[in-house]
Amino acid sequence: MSNAAALPSRPGAGRPRSGKDGRRRRPRPGVGKTVSVVLLVLGAVGMIAPFLWMFTTSLRDASQAYDLPPQWLPTEWDWSNYVDAVSGPVPILKNMFNSAVIAIAVSIGMILTAPMAGYAFAKLDFPGKNSIFVGLLSSLMVPAQVTIIPLFLLMRTFGLLDNPLSLILPGITGALGVFLLRQFFLGLPQEIIDAARMDGATAWQTYRLIALPLAKNAVSTLGVITFLGSWNAYFAPSIFLNSTDTATLPLGLVLMLGPYGAGNVAQVMAATTIAIAPALIVFLVAQRWIIASLTQSAVKG
Amino acid sequence: MTMTAPKTALPPAPASGRGRPGHRSAARRREALTGYLFTAPTVIGFLVFILGPLVAALYLSLTKYNILTAPKFIGFDNYARMFRDERLATTYGSTVLYVGAAVVLINGFALLFAVLINQRLPRALTYVFRSAYFFPYLVALVYVSIIWQALFQKDTGILNYYITALGGERIDWLNSSEFSKVSVIIVDTWRNVGFAMLIFVAALQEVPKDMVEAARMDGANEWQVFRRIVLPMISQATFFNITITIIGAFQIYESIIVLTRGGPGDASRSVVMYIAEVAFNKFDMGYASAIAVTLFVIIMLVTMVQFRLRKSWVNNE
Repeated sequence: MSNAAALPSRPGAGRPRSGKDGRRRRPRPGVGKTVSVVLLVLGAVGMIAPFLWMFTTSLRDASQAYDLPPQWLPTEWDWSNYVDAVSGPVPILKNMFNSAVIAIAVSIGMILTAPMAGYAFAKLDFPGKNSIFVGLLSSLMVPAQVTIIPLFLLMRTFGLLDNPLSLILPGITGALGVFLLRQFFLGLPQEIIDAARMDGATAWQTYRLIALPLAKNAVSTLGVITFLGSWNAYFAPSIFLNSTDTATLPLGLVLMLGPYGAGNVAQVMAATTIAIAPALIVFLVAQRWIIASLTQSAVKG
Repeated sequence: MTMTAPKTALPPAPASGRGRPGHRSAARRREALTGYLFTAPTVIGFLVFILGPLVAALYLSLTKYNILTAPKFIGFDNYARMFRDERLATTYGSTVLYVGAAVVLINGFALLFAVLINQRLPRALTYVFRSAYFFPYLVALVYVSIIWQALFQKDTGILNYYITALGGERIDWLNSSEFSKVSVIIVDTWRNVGFAMLIFVAALQEVPKDMVEAARMDGANEWQVFRRIVLPMISQATFFNITITIIGAFQIYESIIVLTRGGPGDASRSVVMYIAEVAFNKFDMGYASAIAVTLFVIIMLVTMVQFRLRKSWVNNE
């Protein structure tokens, strides 16, 4: 109730102003828009500034890292912090390799299992289909904190603690991917499937040779989202992995940062810049798809 | 738009090979078998890694278990113990604050920026803004927290530099019991506002332009148009965003680890951090499970209340 009441009033706080601008906009179309752009620029600067600071600091000597007033643009292009970061006591490169292995394995598993299930839920008929699907979907509501203790005990029993398999095995299936791909396959005209079956293709061939290739974009999006999710994960890795050699990159960086940020800040920022690179690449290459697939399910219900 | 196609395709068209009755059941059986095979990996993963552990957590929450000796059944003692646990009360207090702040701030700013961005701005500008706001969401919470903890430093941080430059007092962002929570909220809002904004933008684009124009012609001012037409039209997105922010904020964990380690004392500690501490530092698995199960139930109840209320304010279906 309070949510419902609070939300409309909240944007209202900033809104009447632009409302007035809006009324003035008819005679003078420029003003409202100028105000909007200024506000948006301020917001965008706030979003990007921390990353800019990270990058310039990574290029500076540690003694100048905290120079005030802050230098927003690189004053020098000294890459030695990067060299020092990867050759320091925390094996950052090894950690990155660990993260990559887990993220790639999980992504491959996911793009093998989720489209298959999504296709079955969308295009095949079998008893219990709907209840199974609803059960799977409800698993999205189960927070990781509830299952983490039994999972820890399970991994311990099978000797998988401190082993990347403890993160790979639970990661290769998941309801979100099934949901996304089911949505896609529902949109696929039934005639395409029927035509293939009529020509004598088996269910597997129809899926593998007809349906799956058409889902290329949806599958790529799923792969990218899964990769990033695994690459960025902290909670489960922090509990299942407990040595610097098996640690993933987020764990390594937290180690490097040290308690209360006592680590060498220039080196930490260099390592963080490296760690962020995959997100940046994904962002530059696949932003459009990701945004489309993430927003679609929310808006169209 | 894309969703109109599946709607028409949804009623299962008669599949081929079902013409003759004799064939029918065999084909059906084969199709069912295929269905089970296709879904098997996902279902097995679900049973082993989600449903099984969930049931195990329920059981463990009724036991005393320290890993070394077998779990001992103690009924609801763990649940009773929660009511006497002052640290749990403190961590729940902070967590509820995080949830409230997330709902109001993330969605408030997201809606504001979405409305601003949804005007007829040059395409390139829209693209740049959208990208800038969305980027933090793609970066691990751990990484952005590492950057922010440097910015939050009391004596060397940039934030305090600008605050003192403007004549303010230095703020002890990470080590005061009030501002440690504020820092967590700032990072959480900053990182998630872009995603919520995109959802709002997508919804705003679905609002029929002629409807808005008609209202304006009838003399409605911008605020009335927004309040009476736009807001009801995007209620589906608002509902989604609020639900997502509640669920997310209940689970805040790694930003606190990096920023404040839960401190000072327990001032900024979240319930999830407390669960991890009880389970994996104190190895009090039974009690930790009870707290985790309770957290799960609370998240579920809040979501269900949301879905209930949805009927009264979400304008759809």
